[in-house]
Amino acid sequence: MRIIAIALNTFKEAIRDRILYLLLFFAATSIIFSRLLALLTVGDRVKIIKDVGLASLSLFGALMAILMGTSLVYKEIDKKTIFTLLSKPIHRLQFLLGKFFGLVFTLFIMISLMSLIFLALIFFHTFRIEWKMLLAILFIFMELALVTSVAILFSCFSTPILSSIFSLSFYLIGHLSWGLETLIHKIKGGAAKTLVQILYTFLPDLENFNFKTEVVHALPIQAKFLVFSTLYGVFYTLFILTLAILVFRRRDFI
Amino acid sequence: MAAALKIEDLHKSFKLGFIPKKKEILKGISLSVEEGEIFGYLGPNGAGKTTTIKCILGLIFPDKGKMEIFGQPHLSLLAKERIGFLPENPYFYDYLTAKEFLNFYGQLFLLKKKEKEEKISHLLQLIGLERSANLQLRKFSRGMLQRIGLAQALINDPSLVLLDEPLGGLDPLGRKEIRDIIIRLKEEGKTVFLSSHILQDIEMICDRVAIIVNGQIISQGALQDLVREKILFTEVILSGLEKKELEGLGEYFSIHGERILLKVFEEEKIEKILNLVQTKRGKIHSLIPRTETLEDLFVGIVKQR
Amino acid sequence: MKRSSLHEKEFTFLFLIFFLFLSCGVFMGLKLKIEQIPRKKIPGSSIIYIPSGKYLKFATFGYSSLLADLIYIWAIQYYSDYSIQDRFNYLDHIFSIISELDPRYTDPYEIGALIAVYEAKDMDLAFKILDRGLEKNPDQWLFPFEAGHLAQIVKKDYKLAMAYYKKASEIEGAPDITKRLYASAAFKTMDFKTSWETWLEIYQTVKDERIKKIASNHLYQVKATIDITALKEAIGKFKAKYRRNPTDLSQLVKLGFLASLPKDLDGKDYLYDSQKGEVTPPTIPWKR
Repeated sequence: MRIIAIALNTFKEAIRDRILYLLLFFAATSIIFSRLLALLTVGDRVKIIKDVGLASLSLFGALMAILMGTSLVYKEIDKKTIFTLLSKPIHRLQFLLGKFFGLVFTLFIMISLMSLIFLALIFFHTFRIEWKMLLAILFIFMELALVTSVAILFSCFSTPILSSIFSLSFYLIGHLSWGLETLIHKIKGGAAKTLVQILYTFLPDLENFNFKTEVVHALPIQAKFLVFSTLYGVFYTLFILTLAILVFRRRDFI
Repeated sequence: MAAALKIEDLHKSFKLGFIPKKKEILKGISLSVEEGEIFGYLGPNGAGKTTTIKCILGLIFPDKGKMEIFGQPHLSLLAKERIGFLPENPYFYDYLTAKEFLNFYGQLFLLKKKEKEEKISHLLQLIGLERSANLQLRKFSRGMLQRIGLAQALINDPSLVLLDEPLGGLDPLGRKEIRDIIIRLKEEGKTVFLSSHILQDIEMICDRVAIIVNGQIISQGALQDLVREKILFTEVILSGLEKKELEGLGEYFSIHGERILLKVFEEEKIEKILNLVQTKRGKIHSLIPRTETLEDLFVGIVKQR
Repeated sequence: MKRSSLHEKEFTFLFLIFFLFLSCGVFMGLKLKIEQIPRKKIPGSSIIYIPSGKYLKFATFGYSSLLADLIYIWAIQYYSDYSIQDRFNYLDHIFSIISELDPRYTDPYEIGALIAVYEAKDMDLAFKILDRGLEKNPDQWLFPFEAGHLAQIVKKDYKLAMAYYKKASEIEGAPDITKRLYASAAFKTMDFKTSWETWLEIYQTVKDERIKKIASNHLYQVKATIDITALKEAIGKFKAKYRRNPTDLSQLVKLGFLASLPKDLDGKDYLYDSQKGEVTPPTIPWKR
C-alpha cells in the first residue's frame, strides 16, 4: 500500500538522522550512570536504576519524538520533496499517515534498543530479567506515539522551532493535569468550575500512561485500567491525526 | 484531437505579509494543450508559471477556475495516474540510490515488482544513467539530478508530462540531452507541457506556446503563427572593401583582420553590396538573414506591459 | 463529473469533522471513566527518589527557586491529604530538597517544622529543620525563636529553650520578648544567676513602664526563689542539728546557719510557718 511505501521511506530517512543517535547515546549514558547513582543510596539499589532507566526512556523518547516529528513534514515542504510526492495519485492523508507510521516504527526500534540496555543492566544486578518493566515501557511507547502525532500536527503548519515548543508544551501540560484537578476542588461550583472541568477532561492526561511507579513497586494494576488507558491513547492519537489531516488537506504549497 | 490539458479562467490570489495583503497571482488563465504536442509556457519571473503548474497538480487550490486533464477533473486519481511532474530545482531524498529512488516512486503507483524493475532499467537507459544506478543521489551533479528527476516523472508512463524549468542551470550539453529526451517523448505519443526561460530551446522544440505576463495570458498559439517570417535584417560578412565604400548601405561593424560585418536593413541594398563585392573582387564570407526570434517577440511583448 | 467530485470533497470534509468530534468525545469519556478507577496515586512520587537536592539544583538551570516554590506547594497539598498513610516517611527529605534549592525561602522551614511537630509528632525533625533554617539564614531570628518555643512549650526542655532563645536574641531584629523568654527559660532550668542577670538587664534598659514592672516582678520572683532556697537549706541544717524547726527565721542567723536574713526585693520579710517549716514570699509576684 502507498502508506507503507511512505512509512518505509520515512523510516529510512529518520534512521539516518544523527539527532536520534545523540539522544540514544544520552539515554544509554544516563541508564548506565544510574548504576553509579545507585552506589550513593542506602538500601534498594535496583530501585534507583529502574526509576532512572524508565525516566530516561520516557524523557529521551519524548525528545526523539518531538525533534524528529517536527522536522519531518517541515523538511519535506521546505526542501520541496513534497511536490513530486503529492503530484502522484496519493491522498494527502496517506502521506501523513505514512509519515506517522514511519516515525512510530523508528521510535519502536529506538525504544527497543534502550530497553535492551536497561534490562541488561538490571540483569547484572538482580540476575533476573524483569519482564514487568516491559509493561511500563509499552505504555511509554504509547505515550510517545501520541506525542509523535502532535509533533506531526504542528509540523504541518509551523517551523520546527515553534513546533517543538508547542509539542513540548503539550507534553508538559499532559503531565501536569493533576494540578488542574486540585484546582477544580478548590473552585466553588458555577460556570468557572464547569469550564475548568471541561478543560480538564479535554486536555491530555499523559499520566494515564505512566505505570512507572506501579511497576517499580510491583503494585497491582487493574486490567480495566490498562484497557481504558490503551483506548484513551488510541482515540486521542486518532483525534490529533484527524486534526492534522484537516489542516493539511487544503494547504497551499507555495 | 482531444485536449490533453484544458484550463478555464483560473484565478488565484495569496495573502502575503504579516498583515495579510491580498495579492492576485493568476488573473484568469485559460489555455488548451493538444494531445501529442510540445507546449511551451513562457513568462518573466513572477508571472505565475509555477503557480499555474501547481494548481494543475493540486498543490495549490485555486480561487476560481476549472482544469481538466484528458477530460478528467484535475484532482481525480485517474488524472493523476496519467501525469508526470518535474519541479524546478528538484531536491530529492539524497541518501537513496538512483534505483531505490525510482523504486520508491514506483511503489506509489502500486506497480508490480517485475513491471517496476523493467521500467526502472528502461528509464535509466533513456536518461543515460545506467552506470549510476547504485550511486547515492547526494553524489549526483546538477545535470544528473535533473535527469533522474525526469525519470521519476516518467515512472508511470504518463500521457502528459509537466516540466517546470527543466533546462535551468544546465550546461549546453545537458540542455541538448534534455531536449532530445523531450523530443523522444513526443515521438512516443506523449504530450509535454514545459515552462522555461530559455527561449532558444523553446523555439527549437515547441509546437505551440503561451506567453503569460502578470498573471494573464498575453499571447497563445502555434509558434510559427506568432513569430513572423519577416526578415528583420541581414548580416553580411565580407572582405576586400573599405568602409567608405560601404557608406549608407548598413550598420558597420569591423571584425578582426580585413573582415567587415554589415547589418543591412533593406533588401535592395543587399543587391548593391553583392554587385560592389563582385566589382571590387572582394569576398562574401556569409550572408545570414535574421528573422524575428521568439526572444524578440517576447521582449517586445513584455516591454509593452 | 465536476459536481460529484465537489460533493466528494465536501463529504470527506464532513466525515473528517464528524470523526474529529467522535474521537474527541470518546477520549473525553474514557478519561472520565479512568478517573473513577481507584489507583494508588502518589502524585509526584518520583520526587522521592531523587538522591539529593544538591544535584537537583544543578539540573534545574537556575530555576531552582521556582522549583523550590513548586515543590513546596506540592508538599503542602501532599501533607494535607490524610488518606496517604505513610506520608511522613520522606518529610525530612522533601524539606531538605526545598532548602537546598532555595535556602533563603523561610516559609518551608517554619511549616516543615510545624508539620513535623504537630502532624508527624517528630520533635527532633522539627528542630533539625529549624536548625537548618538558621544555618542557611543566620540573619533570621525567627528560626531559633520558634525552636525555643517548641522546646519550651511542647518538649518542655527548658535548657534547650534557653539555648535557642539566646541564639535568637543575639540576632539583630529579634523582638524584645526574646530576652524575657530567655530569662524565663533560665529560671525554669534553675539557672538563677543567668535569670537574675537577664531580668536585671531588661529592667535597667527597658523604657516601657509595663515591661519594667514585669521585669521587676520576675526579679522579685528570682530573688525570692534564691532566698527561699537558701533559707530552706539553712532550715534543713537547723533541723538536722536540733531536730525541730526553728521558731523564727532570725534564729538561723543567731545560731550561725545564715550570714544574714534575706529580705524580699521590696525589703519585706519572708513569711515563715514554723509548723511546716515552710517559707513563702510575702507578696505574690504578679500582684505587686
